[in-house]
Amino acid sequence: MIARDRLEQLRLKFGAAIQRADFPADNRLFVHVEPAAVKSMCQYIFRDLDARYVISIGVDDRPYSSHFLVAHNFAFDPDHLLCSVLVELPPDQPSIESISDVVPAASWAEREMRDLVGIEPIGHKYLKRLVLPDGWPEGVHPLRKDARWDAIPADFSEDRELTFDDPPEGCMVVPFGPFHPTLDEPAHFRLYVEGEMVRGCEYRGFMAHRGIEKLAESVMSYNDIPMLAERICGICGCVHSVAYTQAVESAVALKPPPRAEYIRTIMLEIERLHSHLLWTGLACHILGFDTLFMQSFRIREPIMWIAEKITGNRKTYALCQIGGVRWDFTPEVKVELRQTLDKLEAEWRPIVAAVSGDKNIQKRTRGVGVADKKLVKNVGLVGPVARAAGVDMDCRRDHPYAAYDRVEFNVITAKDGDVWSRLLVRMQEVFESIRIIRQCLDKMEDGPLQLEIKDELPIGRIGLSSIEAPRGESHHFVITGENNRPRRWRVRAPTYQNLQGVPAMIKDQQIADMTISLGSIDPCFSCTDRMETIDLRSGAVRVWSQQELLKLTQGRKA
Amino acid sequence: MNRGMAWTILSGVLNVATVLLLAPLFQGILRKITARIQSRQGPPIWQPYFDLLKLLGKEDIESGETPPMQRFAAYLSLATVLALACLVPMGLAVPMNGAGDVILLIYLLTLSGICTLLAGLAAGSTYSLLGISREMMSMITLEPLLVVVLITAALHVHSLRLDSVLSGYLYATAGIPWSGLILLGVMLLAFQAFVQRVPFDISEAETELMEGPLMEYSGPKLALFKYAQMAKLIIYSAIFASLFLPWGSHLVFPIGWLLFWIKVLALVLVVTLVAATHARYRIDQAIRYFAVLLAVAAVGLALASYGY
Repeated sequence: MIARDRLEQLRLKFGAAIQRADFPADNRLFVHVEPAAVKSMCQYIFRDLDARYVISIGVDDRPYSSHFLVAHNFAFDPDHLLCSVLVELPPDQPSIESISDVVPAASWAEREMRDLVGIEPIGHKYLKRLVLPDGWPEGVHPLRKDARWDAIPADFSEDRELTFDDPPEGCMVVPFGPFHPTLDEPAHFRLYVEGEMVRGCEYRGFMAHRGIEKLAESVMSYNDIPMLAERICGICGCVHSVAYTQAVESAVALKPPPRAEYIRTIMLEIERLHSHLLWTGLACHILGFDTLFMQSFRIREPIMWIAEKITGNRKTYALCQIGGVRWDFTPEVKVELRQTLDKLEAEWRPIVAAVSGDKNIQKRTRGVGVADKKLVKNVGLVGPVARAAGVDMDCRRDHPYAAYDRVEFNVITAKDGDVWSRLLVRMQEVFESIRIIRQCLDKMEDGPLQLEIKDELPIGRIGLSSIEAPRGESHHFVITGENNRPRRWRVRAPTYQNLQGVPAMIKDQQIADMTISLGSIDPCFSCTDRMETIDLRSGAVRVWSQQELLKLTQGRKA
Repeated sequence: MNRGMAWTILSGVLNVATVLLLAPLFQGILRKITARIQSRQGPPIWQPYFDLLKLLGKEDIESGETPPMQRFAAYLSLATVLALACLVPMGLAVPMNGAGDVILLIYLLTLSGICTLLAGLAAGSTYSLLGISREMMSMITLEPLLVVVLITAALHVHSLRLDSVLSGYLYATAGIPWSGLILLGVMLLAFQAFVQRVPFDISEAETELMEGPLMEYSGPKLALFKYAQMAKLIIYSAIFASLFLPWGSHLVFPIGWLLFWIKVLALVLVVTLVAATHARYRIDQAIRYFAVLLAVAAVGLALASYGY
């Protein structure tokens, strides 16, 4: 009982400060603590027990329990345990001691909590707005329950320009993004450049606001949200859909039928395959090596076709429902999938061999964009970025979900932590994905696709789910609620943590290495830009009624 | 005398016309082969002609910080390249032999680099300034390389006359032409940089600097710049062929002429292959590479001055 052991450790150290604790399963631990003890407990968990920081969540729980709630989530990877430290805060002027000086990785999450829920992190060193635009009025917090999901404050000045920090002396400011051929994403870096050397940078992102979490908490229902979650990202959509579904399932202790678990596993690996091939291509394009870019995309294409054959779409698979999946594998599709994998493996092998021996690519990637183990720990870097630094971490093995506990695969690691190592890790992971899919096809048993759910889902339960997306751990946090929808749903995409490591990775490097350093974390800005209450397209606000949205998301059924 | 004059002008015009006509074709071949290497269909071989026509027909927009300088840089760029065309043999004798010597050739080649600097200054954006600083750095290390090569050839023929230097006399010594072979190797390794293709397209680097100095160009002015770049590929290939691959060029008209263009085509193919199989170098890596080449070239020059 590892969860109990960990709890005993915490009890020994903090005793009376722990109000109550709960471990619904051996892989989850919820500890409710006094606000005064939260910082020292997080420090103990993060530094002494060496847990990995995942995310912090602010919740407006006033309508249900008349207080605010803050959760700091940690992962004990070798113990297969996800742990949440929960704090209740008084309903007026909520504030909490900041943990970002002992857990640097919490910096963004606390700034976001301040913007969106209005919980003040006391002692945070850099309290600039993170998510809300500068023209947004003070004191309006979109994720509070008394904020309507479609409300725009009257004094919101949309045209107000972003304010930036002053660059260090002697440095020129090079703006990078949102209009740059390798960063055509809603993100803006201001690089402080001295000659050709980058001395620092400021990041302003969160420019595309889709209000996804707010919509889910106020408009949609449990089984609509997987469709919405999938649209968080254009590349790893299935990951978010599965992660959300699993978070709900873990909250209410449902287990989907085995066949559904295998199908989820296969689709997640198909997604990893196409994502890694896409990334390899883009990385080569950034380096000016367009031949490999084109070849990667050619090899990737059949993966998209087989995905379309299985789910009806090249992307956006519409796969998950609570307790199961929508699509089945026919015997013909299984045969075709095997053929596609064989062809992919045969074509990918020579490319890996060619790239691994290429001095030219090594020259541009070795020692570039280095994130060492210390940075990985402090900023909470995940996925191939962490594995390339020698941190042996993979949610598929550490927090097994779907059918990953029934397949064999290796966790690929490297040791240098540079762009070259990330390239090697990703290229090798393609073979592991192929291996996993083949095992799933062999082992997949017949049976139902969907669990029969007769009762309403219980209210007020907390669910956590960590999934190994192609870019790293995707973590979803759900509190179940009334009206057939969650009260709170927090998505933490891998890029949210990995982006926080970029300033350290590009510091004191040539500006020419900036693009590949940033590209090497495989950034997904749409995953990061998740929240706002309104949809602002060219200034015009489109208001969706509940009926319209229902119609929109259930179009397939209608 | 008058007939000689007329012949000079006529052959100059002929050379300019050849370069203007063939440059887009070679670019088209380059693009088609690149596409094939990348498993793509690729555009038709005539596409660069259409691209130029399309750009020439577009609205002429003034942009950047100093539009007059921007316009001047575009004109100067093509003009320089066309002037070069009059001084370099294109399968026949050097047309305007009396108009200048190899020193002029070096000046003109440098001038075409300066056009890029002007273009970048005219745009005035951070990225174009970064682009021209890179351009300048590579010019400083590349131009001496060319100077060394031309001087070595001049040493062998004891003359700075274009027709004597540019006729393969690099090898015209008794015994094994060590200096010629060394310089042949050096030039071959640096050729990609002279024609500014991957891995040495550092000053434009689309994915880093968004075309750098050219970022503010569009329409007809961009067409002129692109035309100049295409022509540059031919002219450098022609200089290379005349310096290092003289064999067969002295044969009677159609054969020698054809052989010459086959050599140019072969060089374009080499450029294509190298560009399609390499990633771009960083400026510091490139400069280090050029510096090594320059040192080797200096050894070649020293050997040449002792008659090897």
